[in-house]
Formats: sequence, structure tokens, C-alpha cells
Amino acid sequence: MLFPRLATAALATALFALPAGAETLPMPTGPVILTISGEIENTNGDGTAAFDLDMLRALGESEIVTETIWTPATHTFTGVRLKTLLDHVGAEGDEITAMAINDYGVTIPVEDATETGPIVAYEMDGAQMSRRDKGPLWVIYPFSSSSDYRTEVIYSRSIWQLDRMTIEE
Amino acid sequence: MLAAVGLLCVLAITFLVSEIVQEMRFLNSASSDNVHWVLSQAEVEFLEFHNAIDLARQSDDPQALEHVVVEFDVFYSRMMTLGTGSLYADLRAIGNFGYPVSVIREKLDAMIPLIDGSRADLRAGLGTLAAEADEIRPLLRRVATTGLQFFAERSDESRSSVAVTMLRLALITVALVLALVVLLSHTRRVSNQTERRGQELADAYARLNTILQTSLDAVVVSDLQGKILNFNAAAERIFQYSRDEVIGRNIAEVLIPDDYRAAHAAGMARMRDTGEHRVVGHGRIRLESKRRNGQIFPVELAIEKAQAGEEEVMVAFLRDISHRVASEKELVEARDKALAGEKAKAEFLAMMTHEIRTPLNGLLGNLALLDKTALSPAQGRYVRNMQISGGVLMHHVDTVLDVARFESGVSVAREEVVHLGELFQNIVDSQASAAEANGNQMLWGWVGEPAEWVRIDASRLRQVLLNLVGNATKFTRDGRILIEAERSAEATGEMLEIRVIDSGIGISEEDQERVFNDFQTVGDANFAGQAGTGLGLGIARRFVEAMGGEIGVESTPGEGSVFWLRVPLVLADGSGQPEQHSAPAPETPGRDILLVEDNEINLELAREMLTGLGHRVTEARDGEQAVAAASGHRFDLILMDIRMPRLDGLGATRAIRSGAGASRDVPIVALSANVLPEARDSFTEAGMSGFLPKPLTEDGLLQVIARFCSSAKPAPEPAPQPPEPEISPMDRLRRRYEDETRTLFDWLATGPADRAEIAHRAHQVAGSAAAFGQSELREALVAVEMAADRNAPELGATIAAARAAWENAPAPTLS
Repeated sequence: MLFPRLATAALATALFALPAGAETLPMPTGPVILTISGEIENTNGDGTAAFDLDMLRALGESEIVTETIWTPATHTFTGVRLKTLLDHVGAEGDEITAMAINDYGVTIPVEDATETGPIVAYEMDGAQMSRRDKGPLWVIYPFSSSSDYRTEVIYSRSIWQLDRMTIEE
Repeated sequence: MLAAVGLLCVLAITFLVSEIVQEMRFLNSASSDNVHWVLSQAEVEFLEFHNAIDLARQSDDPQALEHVVVEFDVFYSRMMTLGTGSLYADLRAIGNFGYPVSVIREKLDAMIPLIDGSRADLRAGLGTLAAEADEIRPLLRRVATTGLQFFAERSDESRSSVAVTMLRLALITVALVLALVVLLSHTRRVSNQTERRGQELADAYARLNTILQTSLDAVVVSDLQGKILNFNAAAERIFQYSRDEVIGRNIAEVLIPDDYRAAHAAGMARMRDTGEHRVVGHGRIRLESKRRNGQIFPVELAIEKAQAGEEEVMVAFLRDISHRVASEKELVEARDKALAGEKAKAEFLAMMTHEIRTPLNGLLGNLALLDKTALSPAQGRYVRNMQISGGVLMHHVDTVLDVARFESGVSVAREEVVHLGELFQNIVDSQASAAEANGNQMLWGWVGEPAEWVRIDASRLRQVLLNLVGNATKFTRDGRILIEAERSAEATGEMLEIRVIDSGIGISEEDQERVFNDFQTVGDANFAGQAGTGLGLGIARRFVEAMGGEIGVESTPGEGSVFWLRVPLVLADGSGQPEQHSAPAPETPGRDILLVEDNEINLELAREMLTGLGHRVTEARDGEQAVAAASGHRFDLILMDIRMPRLDGLGATRAIRSGAGASRDVPIVALSANVLPEARDSFTEAGMSGFLPKPLTEDGLLQVIARFCSSAKPAPEPAPQPPEPEISPMDRLRRRYEDETRTLFDWLATGPADRAEIAHRAHQVAGSAAAFGQSELREALVAVEMAADRNAPELGATIAAARAAWENAPAPTLS
């Protein structure tokens, strides 16, 4: 059985630990793949924080090696830690409403976002995930690390083709 | 049982836990991701895709084309999930699911060049896409329904599995509860039992304590070192210590008398070291113990060792037996006194036998001799009257002695084997002449089958029959006296009934009841002639009862009486029994006889009788002389007095028998006035062959000589006729007595120092003095003899008294 091996690479969160004021985030230069709105402190336009892939990559990479019920084998997922992302935008809410391209929506409690919790993955097995391949962003919990992560609720929160998040009180 | 229940519980719990864990794990790890939603979502996304195509075909908006690409990607992604996701692997194995999925994926893959190609191509290919999509729709429909059906079934299975698990859980819970109930009830029972036992133990302890405290015996508990652990109320009372004073102290210093301490310590040490017990566990033992005031008193005690928990203790039960010991002592003293009294009585009887019968012997013997001398007719009549009176006196003395002996228990049964016919014949023979004197005819005979040799106390039977026959003779004139014997079988065994039937005056009914009582005389004094002691039938009754029989009388006054007796009959083998002599003893003259007798008078009498019967007589005056005479010459018979100075008859007999003398195996017959059976036993033990009671009679001598000398060869020489005495034998005896008496007093006057010799010579003369009518002199001489024997200081005074008695005595006379 494989245990998730957490990538030790990303502790870059420290760089963004200090909350920034409004309009403090840089503007995306490539195609926007994630938009965060709601109760956030740091934005880059009209109360939202828009991210392209490079901006996400710049937040530091984390890895989760795990099986999923939707894929045939064990995969290595690379992405940004959800907690890091929330810290980065200065989220001050309890719930995250995550929406997919096809408008599938799910509520993720902020408590889920821990140091060892879910990541917002953009690579699977070193390759960027295409939209056809559940990309560009997929919320991945370390399913294999604990049975606590192998529940219907967690599976439902593992939203793929993610493109919007709203932080709510 | 309990262990099984416990084991079952454990197993059930283990099983339950594993079941629940498994179930929980199953529930925790959701393997389905809301599959229904996913399947319907696939249809929704397909419709979105299809819709996007349709929209794009109707407008030229490039955004519409873009929307087609997005919807394609979303749908493609969904189908990818269904086609490769591990969650759907089972589902894909079903043809109705896997096949359409793979077909849809092939079709989607085929669309990719168009989708990824230029927008112009895409627009141009929209119609193709729509056609393809139409083909996909029924396939997808099939996928959705199959998937939903599969997951519905799986969900059912899962539900039923959960239901089964829950049912099991319920059952096991019930079982567990039941097991717990059983365990609980068992625990309660055990606890109740324990409580009850505890209560019982407490009760038992209380009871035991009460018993200990109320015990009449002292109970002292100590450890093996002797340290006192418990001391009950009785112990406090007996030893006069309070419990608190002695607890913890040592038994030795408290209860053991000083004299016994060393032995006690040794015993305790021995028990500790070797485990050897001499007192412990040996039941009741009598010892002595000590009270607080130092008094030593006897106790009876029993000690047992017991295990009290880890420790071994000794439990001693003691009883103060001072009172018992005192009463035992009194009893023993009383018994000793009684025994001493009995002994004195027996000695008195023996004295009577000797002291009365010896002078009677002299009297009757001399009368017999006198009868043979030339007497005037009147003198002859007087002599015969005296003989009759003397015989009656002897009979009375014998009768009184019989009763006294019987009452004192001295007389014991002496069974012997006898021939009944001879016994009866002898009685008839001996009594026939007396019967004939009254004109009576006497007969005896058997009724029915006769018995010959029997084992019976013959001497008593003979005495009883003589008494009955004598009575019959006495009270019958010119009639018939019949002795009938008859055997009769009874429940207790065979009995012998003897009836003495007379045709005499009979006995009145009221007299019949008391004839067997002591000192009862009945009947006509005319007939009785001589009044008896009234003891005869009393003795007969005692004898018969002692033989295990009964006696009675039936009588009709004026017609006669039947005295009957019934005794157990024990038949015996008579072979080897000496023939009894029924006929008068034949005269066997010319025997060589050693006569041993210390009393000069009796010696003279016996010698006269023997020489008168034609025998040769050698005399010896004591045992030593007898032994000397017997060793040098073989006699045909030795007649041996018993009471003699220096060596008595028994000692002399033993010496002769054990020596190598010429006469060591000739018959020795005891001459004694002591007719007690024990005396006869002692004669036999000493080696004597027979017994001849004093006073001697000619007939007795004849019987003895005939019995012991019949087979012996007669002496070669005929006995010389004794020389005709110049003077009468009586005168010679009297003179000799006078000489002896004078010689004695002359010798005593010289003041001899040899007391034994004084006693002996005084005894000799005393024996003669009675026979010569000088009873006072005899008594005085007996006193001298006793004083000399005892070495008493008043010996001189008794001698003086004897001399006075001699000087004042009437002239010696034998008449």
C-alpha cells in the first residue's frame, strides 16, 4: 500500500504569510484558470483573485501520491496546498464553495485546509492535466493516507475541472 | 459450565467486535462516489454536449464553437472516468456497461481530431458530430440504466449485509446479555453462598466457644512450645488461675508439678524433634497436675494435636479426678477389707475343719478300738450309742461346713466322668442296711433308655441323693424306697431326672413349700428320731441349682413323697475310667505300709487299725523321717499326714516323688481333716495319689488299700500278729500321753531357748490333750505354741498358765 508522500518542496507559503492589502496580487498574464471571490483580503481586481497557472506554480508545489476511485492506478499529483492558497488570498471564511467548469458545485469547510490536507492539483504524473483529463485543476485529498479521506463526503469535495472558488462566512 | 459460558461470551464478544470493525471499515471507506449522480451527470453532460453542437450549428458565434469544445472535454472527462476509474471496474466487466462505454470512448476519440482541429473544420464537421452524438445517445442510455441497476443491486446487497450484521449483532447482544445474566446470577449465588458460609463459620465459632466455655473438662490450648493460647472457664475453675493470667505463659511453669517438669520438657522436645508422641493422641491418660495454690491433684487428660491455620497447636482436655480417685481408694479399701473378711472366714472354716474334726477323729477312732475290746454287754451298748452320737455330730459339723463353704463361694463345681449306674448302686448299697433297719426295701432303676457314662459334679449329686434317700429312709416304715432315673430331651438340651419315691408318711402341702429352706425341719418327731439341722434339703437345693438344675417335691400325706431333681445331662466317653468299687473292698492283708503322722494319738489309732487288718506298719513322725524311710525301703503304700512340723506332707511327697528313693513311685495317700476341695487340689499337685479323710475309719482304710494295693504283689511275709498287749491299748495310750505331757513340762522348766522346738512340742501335746478330755490344757498349750511362733514376750506367762492348767486338769481319759 502506498502512503502519500508529501512533497517537501513547498514552504514558500512563508513568503506570503503576511496579509496583503486590496489589489495586492499581481495580475495574471496567461489564461485565467482559477478565480477566487468572497471573503478574501488580497485581490487583483473587482474583489476577486484571478490566477493563471504560473501564479499557482509560484505559490509552491506540493505532491500527493495516492490512488483515486476515478483513475485506474496510483498517481502522483502536483499542485498548491489549499491552505497555502487560502492564506495567499487572505481568506477569512469558514466555507469554500468550489465550482467546476460544468457548474458542478461543492462546499469545502475551511478546516479541511491543513498542512497535510488537500491540494489544488494541476499536474498528474508530471504532466499538466488537460480539461479533457479532469484538468486544469483538481482538488486532491491524500486518500491513501487515511480512511478518514475515503468517505463519500471527501470524494464529493474532490472536485475536478475546478475554475471558481468563493470564500464564505 | 461457568468456564464454558465465559468462553462463549469471550468468543461472542471477539466475533462481534471483529464483525463490527469490519462493518465500520466498510461504512467508513465509501467505495461509491455517488454513482447514481455520476451516471445521470454523464447523461446530462452528454446532453449539454449535444445541445452545444445544435446551438453551434444554428449560429455563427465562434463562442458557440468554443462551448462545443468545452462540453466535449467535460463529457470526455466523464467517460474517461467511467472507462478507467477503479470504482467502475466491476461494472465494466458487465457487457452491457463495458461494451457501450468502450464504444462511446472510441467514438469520442474519433472526434478528437475534429475538436482539436481548426475551428473551420469543426464548424464544417458539426453535422458529423451531431450524427455521431445521436449514435452515442442510446449507448449512453444503456450504460446509465445498467449502471443504475447494478448499483441498485449492490446497494441492496449492502443493505441486506448490514441487516444481517445488525441481526447478528442483536442476537449476539441478546446472547451476551443472557450470559451476563447467568454470570450475574451465578456470582450472586456464589456471593450468597460465601456469605452463608461466613455466617455458618461465625455461628460454628460461637457455638464452639460456648461449648468450650461450658465444658466441664478443662480445655487448654497451647502451641508446640507449650505457650498457652486458650484457657476455658472449667480450666479457670480447676486450676484457680484466671484466663488473662495464664495466656502466653508456658504450660510447664503453670500447670505441671515441679517433679514432672523435666519429664514434660523432655517429652515436648522429643515431640518437636522426632514427632514421637507418648501422650498426644493416646486417649485418656492419668497424670498429676498443679493448682495455683501448689496443690498437686490427679487429672485424667487427653491431648490431641490440631492444625490451626498455619500453626500446629495442642489441645488438652483435663478432668479433675480427685474425688474419683478418693472414692476409688475407698472402694479398694472396702474391697480389701471384704476380701480380708472372706479370707478370715475361709481360714476359720479350715480351722473348724481341722480343730473340730481332729478330736472327733480321735473320739470315733478310739470308740471303734474300744468296741473291739472285751466289754460287758452294757459297756458295748454305751460304746455303740456313743458311736452313733459321734457319727451324728460329725454329720452335723459336715453339714454346717457345707453350707458355710457354699455361701462363701469356696466350694466350686467339680465335674468328673462317672458311671451313673454305679453311682446309684453305691448309694443303694451304702443305704440299704439303714433302710432295712426300718423294714424298708430299697431299689433303683432306669425308666426308658439308660445313660451310662456322664460328665457331672458327682460328689454333689451323690450328696444330694444320699440326703434324699436318707430322708426317705427316715420317714418310711416297712415300705419301699425307689430311685428312678430318666432321660428327657428338652429345648435346652438333654436332661437327667432322678426321682426318689417313698411310701412314707408324706409331707403336707404347706410344708412342701418350705422343706428346701434352711433350718426347716418338718414331720413327725417320732419318725425323725434324730432331729436334723434342717440344712440337708437346703444344701441339696443349692447343689442342684449350682449344677444348673432344679429340685422339687410332690407328696400326699399318708401315702408317700416323690422328691425329684432335674439336671443337664452331658454324656461322656467312659473308656479309660477306673472301675468304681461298688462291692465292699476285699481284704488284702500283708501290705507294707509307711504311716506318717505327727500326732501320737492319731498315729497309734491308725497303727492299731492297720495292724488289726494284718498289715505291716512303719512309722514316721514328720516329713523328713518319711522321706528318709521312703528312700531306703519300697513300701506298698504311704499314708501321709499333711500338717506336720519341719517338713509337711506336701513337701515330703514332692521330695519322695522327685528323689531316687525306693518308694518314689508308690501310691501316697493324704490323711487330712481338711476336706476342702482346694486342699485336695494341692494334694494332687504335690503328687499324691489319693485322699483319706480324717477321722480314719476301718472301712476307709480298706477302700484305700484295696484301691492302691490290689495289683501290688503281697508282701512275702505274713504280717506278724501284734503281740497281745499286757494292758489295754487305751491304758497304754493314756500312760504315754501322761509321760509326754510330763516330759514337756519338765523340759519347759529347764527354760529352753529354741522357740520353734517349744512351739512344736506344745502343738504335739496340745493335739493329744483334746483327745484326753483336757481341753483347758490344750488351749493353754495352743497359747504357748502361738506365743513361741510369734516370738512374743508373754511366752513365759503362757508357759506358766499351761503348767497351771496341767496341774489342775482332770485325769486324762479317753472315754
